Amino acid sequence: MNSSVTSIKLVLLGEAAVGKSSIVLRFVSNDFSENKEPTIGAAFLTQRVNIGEQTVKFEIWDTAGQERFASLAPMYYRNAQAALVVYDITKPQSFIKARHWVKELHEQASKGIVIALVGNKLDMIENGGERKVAKEEAEKLAEEEGLLFFETSAKSGENVNEVFLGIGEKIPIKKPGEQANEQSGLRITDDQRVDLTNSVNGPVRSAGCNC
Amino acid sequence: MGVRSSSKEMHQKDHGSSPYGYGYSLASSGTNLVSSLMKSWRISSASSPKSNSSYTGDGNFDAMAKQQTTAIKNSSSSSSYSPLKYSTPISSSGGGSASSRRTSTDSSKPYTSANKYNPSYYRDSGGGSGSGSGSSRKSDKYFKDLDEDWSAVIDDYNMPIPIITNGGVASPATPKVTRSSSVKTTPTSSTTAMANQNASSTFSYPQLPQLQKTLTTDLRSQLEVENEREAQELTSMLQRMAKFDCILKNKHIINQQELRQISWNGIPKPQRPVVWKLLIGYLPANTKRQESLLKRKRQEYHDGLDHVFSEQHSRDVPTWHQIEIDVPRTNPHIPLYQFKSVQRSLQRILYLWAIRHPASGYVQGINDLLTPFFQTFLTEYLPQSQIDDVEKLDPESYLTESQLNDVEADTFWCLTKLLEQITDNYIHGQPGILKQVKNLSQLVKRIDRDLFNHFQSEQVEFIQFAFRWMNCLLMREFQMSTVIRMWDTYLSETSLETSSSAAAMMSDTGPPRTPTEPASMTFQSFTSPSTTSKGSSEDLPRLRRSSLNEFHVFVCAAFLIRWSDQLIDMDFQNIITFLQNPPTRNWKETDIEMLLSEAYIWQSLYKDATSHWQ
Repeated sequence: MNSSVTSIKLVLLGEAAVGKSSIVLRFVSNDFSENKEPTIGAAFLTQRVNIGEQTVKFEIWDTAGQERFASLAPMYYRNAQAALVVYDITKPQSFIKARHWVKELHEQASKGIVIALVGNKLDMIENGGERKVAKEEAEKLAEEEGLLFFETSAKSGENVNEVFLGIGEKIPIKKPGEQANEQSGLRITDDQRVDLTNSVNGPVRSAGCNC
Repeated sequence: MGVRSSSKEMHQKDHGSSPYGYGYSLASSGTNLVSSLMKSWRISSASSPKSNSSYTGDGNFDAMAKQQTTAIKNSSSSSSYSPLKYSTPISSSGGGSASSRRTSTDSSKPYTSANKYNPSYYRDSGGGSGSGSGSSRKSDKYFKDLDEDWSAVIDDYNMPIPIITNGGVASPATPKVTRSSSVKTTPTSSTTAMANQNASSTFSYPQLPQLQKTLTTDLRSQLEVENEREAQELTSMLQRMAKFDCILKNKHIINQQELRQISWNGIPKPQRPVVWKLLIGYLPANTKRQESLLKRKRQEYHDGLDHVFSEQHSRDVPTWHQIEIDVPRTNPHIPLYQFKSVQRSLQRILYLWAIRHPASGYVQGINDLLTPFFQTFLTEYLPQSQIDDVEKLDPESYLTESQLNDVEADTFWCLTKLLEQITDNYIHGQPGILKQVKNLSQLVKRIDRDLFNHFQSEQVEFIQFAFRWMNCLLMREFQMSTVIRMWDTYLSETSLETSSSAAAMMSDTGPPRTPTEPASMTFQSFTSPSTTSKGSSEDLPRLRRSSLNEFHVFVCAAFLIRWSDQLIDMDFQNIITFLQNPPTRNWKETDIEMLLSEAYIWQSLYKDATSHWQ
């Protein structure tokens, strides 16, 4: 079992109040709360999913969105294998910010980082709200920059798990040894932690579960 | 150097909260003694519940009982207080503090050399063989260092030095304030004499003998001790209220220092609003000027709002928008903050503050910091029996519009005063927070090396969990009621008398200005503390004895090390998860008080470690 658990370090970036923490909460606890306190600094959460034969453990750093905290972000994305860049499809400004994050990640983060562009708050459109960021525009950005692209609703749960599964599928499965090797120089390595099976948040879920 | 000066400061801190400092009446100082006993007992036995060891066999208790007896004898036989009572905490803390203190005095070696000081302090509370011996040597030196007002009430200089007591009180004042307080000592001590007489006749004060019995019989169960303690705390609360009244009422000038000392240990709910306003430096100590100042400040705030929302002032849209998003998710679990009237107030306060402090602007977390003020000031308008309902009631149901406006204005000014003290936390790059996090890690390295090493081997970085602790002053870690109790102490730790900002503050409380002027004034007083603190700690050697930021780091250290036993067995993931959601949901005031006491002790012990913090 040990050898079949892969850890993926993932960071969430994006403007304040676009729903980063809510996406994580949905993914990790299948829960939603309307008014979530703003994240200060960053929050750490984990979740396991099965992708095919493989168990993948996501180690998630959910960063604070406000500009003043942005200087902390490199500490969290520097070692990440995956990033979710989140924006709010009803807030054009948040999409501009998302472009910035994508650019910064390409310049500063590790080379092979898998980035998913995530337009959140899909439920607001479905409830009569006005979309301000066209899907085509985001798709275009994703194509140009080589990003995965999803539109989600943390509130309804729509597409949230797909984001993480998409990332899990895109990151090549490695044996723990290799992984540790490649990531030497990381601040947060996990060559020992991979072996630990205790205290996972929530039960192991199977791939494609879209509850 | 550090130790001596720190001890002196501790004296200064303590003498108000201790029985004999300012000569409170015997009866009330009796409670004080009891509560200080209880507090030190709690500290010294902090680990006992974990290890399931019984208290009764604990050496500390014997020592305490002895001290108690002596104290009682003393108080009945002499009218002035002897520091002997005070020495109780030394013994009760076992060899831990006394001998470790010796270590740190005699050799320059830090604590860590004593092979994990922490365990003996925490996990083995009974190891107190050499209690007090280290400290009595230095007693002469100590008492010579004290303020003049000490000499008014202390007649025995050869007593052991108090080392650990129930926390302490705020920073020493500027010379000016000290002078005024020592002048005031004379009348106080004469009333003391009367009170003492009074008390010696009514000496059969029920609490002391009871506690003594509890301690000596060794038979009482812990539960009974707990029950008695609760009853005593109730009584002592009533007496505390009387004591606060004594400081606050019928005075022309309120003795700020005295108020800080007593407030450090908690403020009764009915008096909290006014005391907070005094502590933070919003209300002037001169009671005759309070009313006019409030009127002026409230007007100033509303003029400020009018100005900011007038047509000639263009709205700072990103700031407004950010605040608008954050207000509804401020304290989302407390009904009070869901009321529209409250959200409107919060929005205005935060926006005006942000506009007036462009170097910082609105930073998430500031929204948290204003809420203790807001809800505390609301209680001023509630009958005593309903104070606890403040989190449920819509203010519009019991306040007029103008009253709510006043609460809003008071909150604005007090938030402004608080943020003046922690300016560097919110400016670009948040250097204040980064520095505090660094200080915290250095402190933990010295106090609990094992934990520090464990964090290193697990690659846990302090900033990963402590950033929020600093940014929100631990507010996210505790329930609101606990936070408010904590703020009694924190506001007592704010330094009113930071040299140049004192000037700014004086002018703040000084002659009236035109309402359009304050924006620049506020900004000036906002920047000055940081520049002075960076500039020269030597120029202001003792005036800036302690800052809120410094004390807060010690509180964070105490908070972290409290979980040391658990954390040491955890891996990275569990450590971070644990520290993000520490099990504090059921914490009571007593828990937070213990934490504050520990922080205070460490601040005294590790004073030398902080000398370069400024």
